[in-house]
Amino acid sequence: MIDLQRDCKRKRQGTLSVVGLTIVAVIVGALALFAGAVAAQDTAAPSAQVVAPVAAPVLKIDTGDTAWVLMSTALVLAMTMPGLALFYGGLVRSKNILGTIMQSIVVLCLVSLIWILVGYSLAFGPDKGGLIGGLEWVGLSGVGSEPHPIYGPTIPHQVFMLFQLMFAAITPALITGAVAERMRFSALLLFAALWSLLIYVPVAHWIWGGGWLGKMGALDFAGGAVVHISSGVSALVCAIVLGKRRGHGSDYMAPHNLPFTLLGTGLLWFGWFGFNAGSALGANGLAASAFLATHAAAAAGALVWMGVEWAHRGKPTVLGVASGAVAGLATVTPASGFIGPFSAIVIGVFAGFLCYFAVVWKGRMGYDDSLDVVGIHGVGGVFGILATGLFASKAINAAGADGLFFGNAGQFGIQTIMVCAVALFSVVGTWIILKVVHAAVGLRVSPEDESTGLDLSQHNERAYS
Amino acid sequence: MKRSVRIMTAMLPVLACAILIGTAGVYAQDMGVPAPAATAAVSAQPKIDTGDTTWLLVSTAMVLAMTAPGLALFYAGMVRSKNALGTIMQSFIILCLISLQWVLWGYSLAFGPDKGHLIGGLEWFALNGVGLEPNADYAATVPHQAFMMFQMMFAVIAPALITGAFAERIKFSSFLIFTLLWATFIYDPLAHWVWAVGGWIRNLGALDFAGGTVVHISSGASALACAIVLRRRLGYGKEHMAPHNLPMTVLGASLLWFGWFGFNAGSAVASGALAASAFVVTNTAAATAALAWMIVEWMYRGKPTVLGAASGAVAGLVAITPASGFVGPMASIMIGLGAGVLCYLAVLWKSRLGYDDALDVVGIHGVGGIWGALATGLFASKAINAAGADGLLYGNPGLLGIQALAVLISVVFAFVGTFVILKLVERLMGLRVSEEEERMGLDLSQHDERSYS
Repeated sequence: MIDLQRDCKRKRQGTLSVVGLTIVAVIVGALALFAGAVAAQDTAAPSAQVVAPVAAPVLKIDTGDTAWVLMSTALVLAMTMPGLALFYGGLVRSKNILGTIMQSIVVLCLVSLIWILVGYSLAFGPDKGGLIGGLEWVGLSGVGSEPHPIYGPTIPHQVFMLFQLMFAAITPALITGAVAERMRFSALLLFAALWSLLIYVPVAHWIWGGGWLGKMGALDFAGGAVVHISSGVSALVCAIVLGKRRGHGSDYMAPHNLPFTLLGTGLLWFGWFGFNAGSALGANGLAASAFLATHAAAAAGALVWMGVEWAHRGKPTVLGVASGAVAGLATVTPASGFIGPFSAIVIGVFAGFLCYFAVVWKGRMGYDDSLDVVGIHGVGGVFGILATGLFASKAINAAGADGLFFGNAGQFGIQTIMVCAVALFSVVGTWIILKVVHAAVGLRVSPEDESTGLDLSQHNERAYS
Repeated sequence: MKRSVRIMTAMLPVLACAILIGTAGVYAQDMGVPAPAATAAVSAQPKIDTGDTTWLLVSTAMVLAMTAPGLALFYAGMVRSKNALGTIMQSFIILCLISLQWVLWGYSLAFGPDKGHLIGGLEWFALNGVGLEPNADYAATVPHQAFMMFQMMFAVIAPALITGAFAERIKFSSFLIFTLLWATFIYDPLAHWVWAVGGWIRNLGALDFAGGTVVHISSGASALACAIVLRRRLGYGKEHMAPHNLPMTVLGASLLWFGWFGFNAGSAVASGALAASAFVVTNTAAATAALAWMIVEWMYRGKPTVLGAASGAVAGLVAITPASGFVGPMASIMIGLGAGVLCYLAVLWKSRLGYDDALDVVGIHGVGGIWGALATGLFASKAINAAGADGLLYGNPGLLGIQALAVLISVVFAFVGTFVILKLVERLMGLRVSEEEERMGLDLSQHDERSYS
């Protein structure tokens, strides 16, 4: 073992310069931006206050709504860390658990800073041609405690920004399930930073920030396209570009700690109430309705996955129930604010069914999407966006639209366009980013490092001693 | 293969019913949506308060976290490693199953329009008429659906608590059917009697703020019936059956404590003085009971155990539950003290009585729940909650009598009802796994998985 560690150390010294350079570049870039931002903020802060009285519709902060969105923000944080970190951590082999947990945690930290510095401005700032937000809000300049008329008129603007930050953070963290057990840590950092800026931010702008899909009337209540399709489709590209893990299909790769995974599932479910019901941006009837739809779909997804697996394979597995619940949650996400509880159950039923078969078929397709991001988030997200076009009802949310089943076939068409646009953009963008990262630092760890495990080779730690 | 066919025959009706009812529900919903709006216009137009709604939604999420992952891990850490997943699975699948049961018919049976003080009608079947306008009877300032969800989490955790009594030996398919029947025939009527407008125990004037009777006594008494009917685990008393992962149990206990603030303080159904008061007494009772258990154990056995502190905290939380909206902080110290000592003794005496209540549901939830319900009759004060009543110590001995009657009725009803349901399920499909399966563990035999690889 000591030999092995010494070996790792030697290898690390070889790549150290490259890794170091990258990280230094990222940090220097961030600092430079930050310095610029602080300067921008200082000059811009008073101007925002001047603008507010001119805009005139006196927006008042509601303490209940603010409490709910703040709480929801914390709930969504708990989804990424520790929720997703442990969900994924339990599914890998014990030599890779720390590396897997690390990916979620460090993505949260990295994207948080990117979001505050430029990401929020590019996603939600003043629209430029329907494609991207402007740089007016860089460094949160002008994003203060007064409410924004569109982004939560009863809560401080910064609270909305923070709530959205958690969405931006969890999305690249979801992708890490597809690259588990084999991606170089420095490459992951670079990839997450680029992906967040070049894929997540534009997509969020198109749909939520006043961009072209939003203007077209596309409905995505809490991130079916922005979060789940984008991460699911990108995960597919990652799995293909990175290639299979060594020993995939021949070695025993059972989850090393399923109770961890179930702990993660419970925390994801718990946090998802913030994700979906928090997206109502207030503590009102819509929040209650989204809360109920979320829960009903999760329960239905888990039960159906269990039933299908029981019939198909002979035993109901605990991992199956966890996967089914997450599939139900991912699928109902875009629809949660536009549908009633029974549409949610129907969506959950299909989510359990479709995602189960997507995961089973993965084996035939041959790519190594290690922790089933494509099958659950990709397939669930696509179905969820389409189902929104079927089940959405103005009786539930007057600000939404009616779906196909309520006599508005056009909505289904718009939802289809959204699926195609987001999927295509994510595929091409992720492929280019991966190639760039590969050229810069290399994507995969060396074969020896892979068999040693990420914990020792990337972080020089052991999970269990 | 043969078994899987049998299991499917058991499962199919459940799934088929759910889906059929679901489809029916969509129709009911379409017709139901305008109705609540019309009703709201007639009554005094209750208004949604954002602060109250926030607190109830957060509390609902917190009570979800009590069942999964809280209780799931609390119990899983206490079983042997070959049964950890099977135990986690029981809590998780109850969450899924009862959520649908509650949305379809459970809420209507429990809280729907009263029929003869015994049960709710099916008028609210599939949430028909349960919309977003507040219902003044139950929660005047939050959407009715939010109140329904909050109550759903209670209906979920009650059967999940029972799973501790038959841990490590029940067949998964039988467990599913048992849970569905228990929720429908024990929990829903009991919740109606105690909490619903028109329920006969509520009409007697019995006080149960957050579910001492409905959740803890009912699950504790049912757990006793389960332990007796299912008999002991193989090797009980001879083999080493120590908890396989106590840190996991402590993590679960902490999540329970965390979620219990939603359970008790959320039961104020508003974010105000009563919620704050319930929050204080919940924490105080839990802390006192953990210390009391620790000290008694230290004196009696020579060492203070971590499992003892965790059990004591849960016992205190159980005992304060029915009283939490009616008593002050000093009374909560007395209640916590009583819970720590009584539940410790109850767990100790279990071995003399000979039943195998594997994870001490009877000793903690049954005994703690009974003590809490009676203590409400002692310490309740109108100075804390004007909508409640005074207890014995405040000059009203009648309340203690009413509380004792409520305890007696719910213990007998839950015990007898559970016994009947278990015998029925046993005849239908058998309750226990086979001997080899039990030796192999539930993880592999029921779910074909291993916890740790």
